[in-house]
Amino acid sequence: MRHGLKFEGVAVAGVGMVRFGMLRDYPMMHMARDAGLVALHDAGMTLADVDEAMVGYIQPSSMTGIKAMKELGLTGLPVTHIENASATGLVAFREAAWAVSSGRADVAMALCFDKFTEMSGTGGRGGGRDVIDAPILPASYFALWAQRRMYERGTTPEHFAKVAAKNWNYGAACPTAHRRPDHVVTPEEVLASRLVARPLTTMMCCPADDGAACVILARDDIVRARHPDRPLVRPLASALQSETYARGHTFVGPVVGPSTMTRDTALECYEAASLGPDDVDVAFCHDAFVNEEIEYYELLGFCPPGEGDKLVEAGETGPGGRIPFNTDGGLTARGHPGGPTGLAIVHECVQQLRGDADDRQVDGARVALAHLVGGGSICTVNLLGVTD
Amino acid sequence: MARVPIEAGYFRIPDDPAEPPVLLGSKCPNCGEVFFPRRMVCAQCLHEGTDDVELSTRGTLWTWTYCNIPLFGKKETDVPGYGVGQVDLPEGPRIQAILLGRPDDFEIGMELDLDLETLRTTDEGDDVVIYRFRPVGAGA
Repeated sequence: MRHGLKFEGVAVAGVGMVRFGMLRDYPMMHMARDAGLVALHDAGMTLADVDEAMVGYIQPSSMTGIKAMKELGLTGLPVTHIENASATGLVAFREAAWAVSSGRADVAMALCFDKFTEMSGTGGRGGGRDVIDAPILPASYFALWAQRRMYERGTTPEHFAKVAAKNWNYGAACPTAHRRPDHVVTPEEVLASRLVARPLTTMMCCPADDGAACVILARDDIVRARHPDRPLVRPLASALQSETYARGHTFVGPVVGPSTMTRDTALECYEAASLGPDDVDVAFCHDAFVNEEIEYYELLGFCPPGEGDKLVEAGETGPGGRIPFNTDGGLTARGHPGGPTGLAIVHECVQQLRGDADDRQVDGARVALAHLVGGGSICTVNLLGVTD
Repeated sequence: MARVPIEAGYFRIPDDPAEPPVLLGSKCPNCGEVFFPRRMVCAQCLHEGTDDVELSTRGTLWTWTYCNIPLFGKKETDVPGYGVGQVDLPEGPRIQAILLGRPDDFEIGMELDLDLETLRTTDEGDDVVIYRFRPVGAGA
């Protein structure tokens, strides 16, 4: 079975997002419209140029994507809804890239939005409180993984706090981040915040946000013609996997290790792109709970299994490090509305690869990796690159 | 007043309140892998058709945490928090469940027994229950 996609002749035409946050007075349809318009303006296009749209969200009801697209215009274009929990945005990006790479569209849009301040309280699981896994909340699933890592690897809460502080401080430098602290966050401050599910404190957990983001992909000659002086950012390859069965799989509730899903998905993406972890300059992962980030250093191939803590200790994944992670603050600080999160990651990949990331800029960034998991049970890894 | 499961099909509640609940599993007649909850297609070998089995009520703690927030769906919100663990049963399945006890009570590798947590009482007076584990010897 092969799942990796290699994209040919596709480039990012435009990106746009609204700054994530708890935006109670900002209607969801308006957030979607505004993210879409920013992306269209960045691309130098109107909806009339767009051949196809992939729309994603976690919370709202059926058909909300069609309504959101009407805010941008009614041109008759095909619209498809995509939902893969927290991985939704990156999967919408992957499908839009494939729509162009396959030749069926010249221009394809991925648009995602969500509004967690209006969520029902069931986490979108739909069954309310009377389903078997309702009583256990998501923070505990990832805390279980953190506790097992501490037992097996000797990882300490200080390691997790250092990752969290890095992401909060990246958030301070990112205009589209929800959490922009007005001071340098220290690991001590992270450890002193309220304990949610040991060893995770509130500052080690992402916020549940409102937000919208949009990415427009197009044939590379179209993008080049409209923006001849701009670095051409391309989606290179994508892989998407659900889990393979192994003893220890918990069928009730999201799975939190032993997870080989991220490792296998990354290998497939690297193979499709004919690249490896050494070629990646900046990376993004699902740091909804910061212990995950250390696991993904290993599973994405940036260090051998068990040595993620060393990367943290050496500051290798922060500013000036060997492989900076989550330079927009990640889910920790940029925020995590659900569907739009993956497109916000692509937004930051594009800033980095265009050289427009200001104080967050990774010098000479040529290849970016974007990873997300959804519901603990689906994983996507995507590689983007740049040509001058 | 009766004890009713939060969701049907996952566990059996014995008539005797002193008896532990029983988790309902499936065993593949082809490869022998055992699953919780019940399923028709074997996740390991894809054989169609499994046998119903009842699982052991004692297991080994693989990992745990303690949530400092009230249990979702539980009526009394003055409870400060609750334990959550993954427990390996001798037949193979790893069960994710609420744990009875305080943070100091848990240690990876310890043995736990299955029992029931009452989440709330319905308007008809029935107790809505879910399975949980407690350290061997710990009272309910």
